[in-house]
Amino acid sequence: MKTQLRLPFYLAWQYIRRGRKWTFFLTLFMMSVAFINLIFVSSLFAGIIDGTNKQIINTMTGNFYITPNDGQDYVTNKNHAVELLTNLDDVVGASARTQVPARMTYKNIRGSWQILAVDPNNEKRVSNVADKMIAGSFLEPDDLDQIIIGRQIAGGEGVEENAFSFKGAQVGDKVTLTFDGFSKEFTIKGIFATKFVEADNRAFISANALSALIPATNNVATTIAVKTDKTVDSNFIDKISALNIDGKVYSWQEAAGLMKSVAESFKSINALVSIVGILIAAITIFIIIYVDIVNKRKQIGILRAIGIKSYIIIFSYVILAAVYAVAGVILGTALFFAAIVPYFQAHPFVLPICDAVLVLSKLDYIARAEAIMWVSVISGLIPAALTTRTKILDAILGR
Amino acid sequence: MSMAIIKTDKISKTYHSGGADIRALIGVSLAIEPGEFIMITGRNGSGKSTLLHQLALLDLPDSGEVLINNKKTTDLNEGLRMDFRLSSLGYIFQEYALIAELTAIENVMLPAMMLGPSKLAKKKAANLLNIVGLENKHNRLPSQLSGGEQQKVAIARSLINSPQIIFADEPTANLDTIAAKEILNIFKRLNEKEGITIVMVTHEPEELEYASRLIHLSDGRLT
Repeated sequence: MKTQLRLPFYLAWQYIRRGRKWTFFLTLFMMSVAFINLIFVSSLFAGIIDGTNKQIINTMTGNFYITPNDGQDYVTNKNHAVELLTNLDDVVGASARTQVPARMTYKNIRGSWQILAVDPNNEKRVSNVADKMIAGSFLEPDDLDQIIIGRQIAGGEGVEENAFSFKGAQVGDKVTLTFDGFSKEFTIKGIFATKFVEADNRAFISANALSALIPATNNVATTIAVKTDKTVDSNFIDKISALNIDGKVYSWQEAAGLMKSVAESFKSINALVSIVGILIAAITIFIIIYVDIVNKRKQIGILRAIGIKSYIIIFSYVILAAVYAVAGVILGTALFFAAIVPYFQAHPFVLPICDAVLVLSKLDYIARAEAIMWVSVISGLIPAALTTRTKILDAILGR
Repeated sequence: MSMAIIKTDKISKTYHSGGADIRALIGVSLAIEPGEFIMITGRNGSGKSTLLHQLALLDLPDSGEVLINNKKTTDLNEGLRMDFRLSSLGYIFQEYALIAELTAIENVMLPAMMLGPSKLAKKKAANLLNIVGLENKHNRLPSQLSGGEQQKVAIARSLINSPQIIFADEPTANLDTIAAKEILNIFKRLNEKEGITIVMVTHEPEELEYASRLIHLSDGRLT
């Protein structure tokens, strides 16, 4: 019995070792392509979701977001709050942002964009806007009459929302901020492009500039963004709440707004596309293995004629199919991580919300590798079982 | 009480081909004694191979009974018939029927691996290959052997589990005269020295001299 159990492995090994090499490698290649197809689509969607999430965190909300309590316009005592927050373990930085109550005018174009007053040093620790300057430079704390604007406000050729922009404002140009009862001219110090349309529709001035114009805003903020290490979990919200800051704490997911729905939609599409991908892979693998086994119909007949039990023959082809699957997954993984992922890291998909690269989670990888394995095993089992059910002479004589 | 190692009782077989019924065997009854060297002869389409398939339990008759060692075989399921083929019968096909991915010795040892350890199977296979004259070709693949050598491998494979009966379906049909003679001499030696019963289909008149008895078929009937 022990010998009989070894026989399927022995047969499968000899098929691989001495079978037609081009058939083996072609099958392997097809399996790896089927696997890459499965993980590519999934990792593309995961990459878009991941890229979008990073954009939200890095340009807009930070990991946690503090807003005024219900019925209040501001988070009070912002300087103390920022100090408390930055003293927490795992907090990289905290930036208090105050909505500037002004309209912006450039030449004869006037509009109401979001203008935020920030401490530039704090903002640098929380958002990546300072790293995304495409012209000029980021703010300094003492910049009292300078402003930086997003690419969507500056406008120009190729800008997504050019129709609603300054249509080509440049560094050094003047813009006027009109407040309730007075106005102030600012010089464009820099233009930033985060590649996230919503973030690029904002402008920043220094908190000192706003305080000079409206002293009442000296120690208040409309939001405080908190940036943490990647390691913190959602319980961190309780730690922030325990600081008794005058505001409500949200995770970035809760503050993501429209992008949260977009990410959810991508997840649904990803699930749907993955199911279709698995079906296509299943059919492809089934055809490949079915053709391979049907071509060995005579051989299966001979084995039965000389007394080799059907279960041994079936099991040998199941093992063969499993080997194809494992080798296909390994080859596919190698191609994916050695060639495809680096290529898309160098040439990401450019989207209006982010530059998406391929991101594959362990769970997605394992699930898809498992799917390939099961599909292959079933694809080996069914045709082998059917062939061993045909009459021996029909199998041998090809009737 | 019959001494027959194989006995058939009015076996009939009809094939359906192209909408027509072909009666390959019609009420064939025969008995083969242990140690006989039987040659089944007849024209093409006379039912020789069909009869051999029934005797070797590769196919079932539509009616009638095949008995081996007085045991009815037509009631056995495929698994039990397979056990029977494995342990008691050897079969040699006209087209050698070797597994292309296995070497000569691996082809021979395969049926023995169903019944015992592979080391022992290998030892027995090597010995049998030496007996049929393939001392230096144990590790050749079928594609590296001539037709005669492949048929010798098939003979060695049929002998691996020490069968009582060997069935051979035109084993020399694809061989040249010298190779054919070698194969027939091996059969003769196995029959005379080992006492193995041999049932062989042929339509070569010069081979009939090797047989201890001839069975002639014509249109599915014994004549």
